[in-house]
Amino acid sequence: MSFPRLLRRRAVVALLLCLFLALGLAGLRAYLHSPGRGLPYRDSFSKGTAEEWKALGGTWELANGMMRNDSDERGAKLLSGSPYWHNYSIEADINLLGVSGDAGLVIRSRDEEEGVNSYNGYYAGLRTRDNSLVLGRAEHGWIEVTKSNPAPGGIRPFQWYHLKLMAFDCQIVAVVTAPSQGTSTSLAINDQDCVQTGRIGLRSYSSGGIWRNVVARSATHQDLAEVLRRVGNERNSESRNPVAPASSEIPSPEQQKAVPRPSANTQNIDSLLLSSFAAPAVATIRGVVVLTTPLLFVQDSTGGVSIPQPTAPPLKVGDEVEVTGEVHPGDFSSTMEHAKVQMLWARTPVPPVSVTASQASTGRYAATFVEVQGRLVGKERGPDNTLILDLDEGPQSFRAIMNPGRSDYLFSKLKPDSSLRLRGICVVDPAFTKNLTPFVLLLRSNEDLEVLAGPPWWSTGHVIVLIVASLLLALVGVSLYHRVEHWRLRAILEERERLAHEMHDTLAQSFAGIGFQLQAIRNGLPDHSSPINQQLELACNLVRHSHEEARRSIATLRSEDLESEDILVALDRCARRMVEGGSVEVVSEREGDQRTIPLRIADTLYRIGQEAVANAVRHAHPFLLTIRLTYSGDSVCLQIEDDGAGFVQRSDLQGFGIRGMRRRAQSISAAFQLQSKPDEGTRIRVEAALPPRFTLASWPKLLWKYGKEHWNNGRPARRANSHSYRG
Amino acid sequence: MADRRDAPIRILIVDDHPVVLAGLTSMLGTQAGMEVVGSASSGEEALEMPQARSADVVLLDLRMPGMSGIDTLHALKRAKIKARAIILTSYETDEDIYRAVQAGALGYLLKDAPQSDMIEAIRAVHGGKRYFPRHIAARLAERMMRTDLTSRELEVLGMLARGLTNKEIGRGLAISGNTVRNHVNSIIEKLEVSDRTEAATTAIRRGLIELSN
Repeated sequence: MSFPRLLRRRAVVALLLCLFLALGLAGLRAYLHSPGRGLPYRDSFSKGTAEEWKALGGTWELANGMMRNDSDERGAKLLSGSPYWHNYSIEADINLLGVSGDAGLVIRSRDEEEGVNSYNGYYAGLRTRDNSLVLGRAEHGWIEVTKSNPAPGGIRPFQWYHLKLMAFDCQIVAVVTAPSQGTSTSLAINDQDCVQTGRIGLRSYSSGGIWRNVVARSATHQDLAEVLRRVGNERNSESRNPVAPASSEIPSPEQQKAVPRPSANTQNIDSLLLSSFAAPAVATIRGVVVLTTPLLFVQDSTGGVSIPQPTAPPLKVGDEVEVTGEVHPGDFSSTMEHAKVQMLWARTPVPPVSVTASQASTGRYAATFVEVQGRLVGKERGPDNTLILDLDEGPQSFRAIMNPGRSDYLFSKLKPDSSLRLRGICVVDPAFTKNLTPFVLLLRSNEDLEVLAGPPWWSTGHVIVLIVASLLLALVGVSLYHRVEHWRLRAILEERERLAHEMHDTLAQSFAGIGFQLQAIRNGLPDHSSPINQQLELACNLVRHSHEEARRSIATLRSEDLESEDILVALDRCARRMVEGGSVEVVSEREGDQRTIPLRIADTLYRIGQEAVANAVRHAHPFLLTIRLTYSGDSVCLQIEDDGAGFVQRSDLQGFGIRGMRRRAQSISAAFQLQSKPDEGTRIRVEAALPPRFTLASWPKLLWKYGKEHWNNGRPARRANSHSYRG
Repeated sequence: MADRRDAPIRILIVDDHPVVLAGLTSMLGTQAGMEVVGSASSGEEALEMPQARSADVVLLDLRMPGMSGIDTLHALKRAKIKARAIILTSYETDEDIYRAVQAGALGYLLKDAPQSDMIEAIRAVHGGKRYFPRHIAARLAERMMRTDLTSRELEVLGMLARGLTNKEIGRGLAISGNTVRNHVNSIIEKLEVSDRTEAATTAIRRGLIELSN
């Protein structure tokens, strides 16, 4: 039989597909998890992009093609790379921005969180406090393995150092070179229970820093040996070469060297508002830097002040400073001009004050670092390539201004209607607000912007897509269901065919053979009128009758090709074959607009029709046999009528295969009607509902109909053509 | 050739079913003027039997494992075996009859035919005539007339032969032009012709359609 073979072939194809899919997935997984994917890596800071980096703390921004963290935050991290990188090295030029703290590189980092040592990996950094190169392991705690003094001159801020960190198996090596001095110092550890794989990162602790030329490449054992050997040589040479005096690329300001002495004569920032407009007084205040660009903002516990064009050393967010300058009080906050800024020391950046947009718009929080939530209404690019976000919170609308660079990527990803949390300096100065909004937030970096929730999913576009998708899904489901039903029916038809062959090969043949044998015995008997001869003749007739019956069963079992042929044509032929040129006239009629009948319904109708025609021809002896197939909108009706003998309908009269016909009709939920009276002929009517045609126009109607039936009956409407075989 | 008439008709029986084979051999063996010279359970076996060459009439089953009855008929012809063939089968589909006749069968009998019919058939075929029972003959004739065209295709063919375009046919039958085109393609394929004009002429020549008025 072809069906099992077909099935087997399908199974094999499905199996092969599954295999390919599994192989593909495994390959993809292997690729994604491969320890060298994406190596070597070279930063694109100079091009102004750093989308692949993720910040945890700090104010990471791109400036002049370098990555810069102006924050004094302890343990600010910027991470990138694949968590599956194994043996590799990372190197970068590093410039410290503060006199206290350290800055460096992270290798093989995993499980990163915001916090000082909240990651699992290795860190090598340059520390100003004790002029050392430190190397150690962070495992949500810090194990400083070793440290050494890289240069007698000490680690200084505002000077470039080249740091290389390599991890090979469980050996971690850090090498620092001060290009200005040309000396290298190295540290190596052998961690027994090491972290095997992880990402790369830039990290600073209190000092802030600038990173450039970040390169990560795969490392081999030779690379490791090379580094160790070179380091060994250089260490030897180090002792021979006298250390050149430190010459920094960025001049180290005087303040860095002098021990800062806070002036006792400072006043609160909010008291500046009380200064006279007419004669600008000189005042001194103390506070923490909250913003450096585009304007310097300093804040103390009473408020904030903006300081345009100060005379100042390089400052970082979080630096404690003393500012002396001319006070120009504004409505809500003051400005200090011609100011001299003295850096006192670095401290932790101040946390933002959480306010609502309405509170912020009062001006009470002008020039201070605040945190506001809002809904994104629009975004645009302002002058100087700044990024402007239009937001509102309830009735209050406001703006946020971001620096370009690292924020670009985030900016382009922001969707209108998202709910955002923003941290920034609240500015009410019309120079920024342009009188469009009551206040403007100046964001320090894109870490100051947090997407709390994307836009609600039920936007018009989404809903349309959803509806279309579900409709398509339903269509696919329906067609799949019908396809499966079709296959099942095919299998049944093929099984019938097989059964017919089987019966032909055994039963019918045996009847024929036995018949011949009996005939032979009869032929051999001399006396043709003896009782035994008569009995033999009876036996012959019985066998012939049985043979005929068997042949009829086989003929019924053999499936007609109803898929390509109309059932009316098939029934007509069947009737003519049964009549076999007798005096019965067969008339076939079709009414209505012909449409495709599902195979299952066609087959059942054909079987019923066959039985009815056989009944009429065999028992009713009609003159006229009419077969009529009527198509109406959503149903098809088969009617077989004869003008023969008819019979008395009694409830207990279940012969003539009527029970079988009724059961067949039930199996497709078709209405079965039988009308017969003696001498008035017989009429059999089967009306089957056709499955609704799924067209664009019929969809709403069908849904409406289904819904109405569903709610009216309080239970799901019975499907028009249930596919169950229950009798 | 005088003794030819008196000599018994030599019969070869080919049937895969042993019960049939035994029964037929017994039955025909008891008939005067007939002699079963051999019986084979397959077409291949029959072809190799020396009796095949001397047999006058071959009774051939249609459905057998290996070579079918039709295949055996062709093979006998190829082997230049002159025995006349009668198909003796339980099958009576139009296609079976049609194909058997095309392959050169001179008679077609159903296995439940009465003995008298069978004897008559063997005698007739042996005498060089054809023998088909009435209903077989009727169905053969019907099959010769019939094509595989559906009633809708015949309708389309009729209109096509009157020179209507697809669009006009569609309007006439209240179906779309595309459907008509499908029907026409199917007609061309079934009639094994190259275009619609040829389809029309072939249909008229074969009497599939009539062009009234």
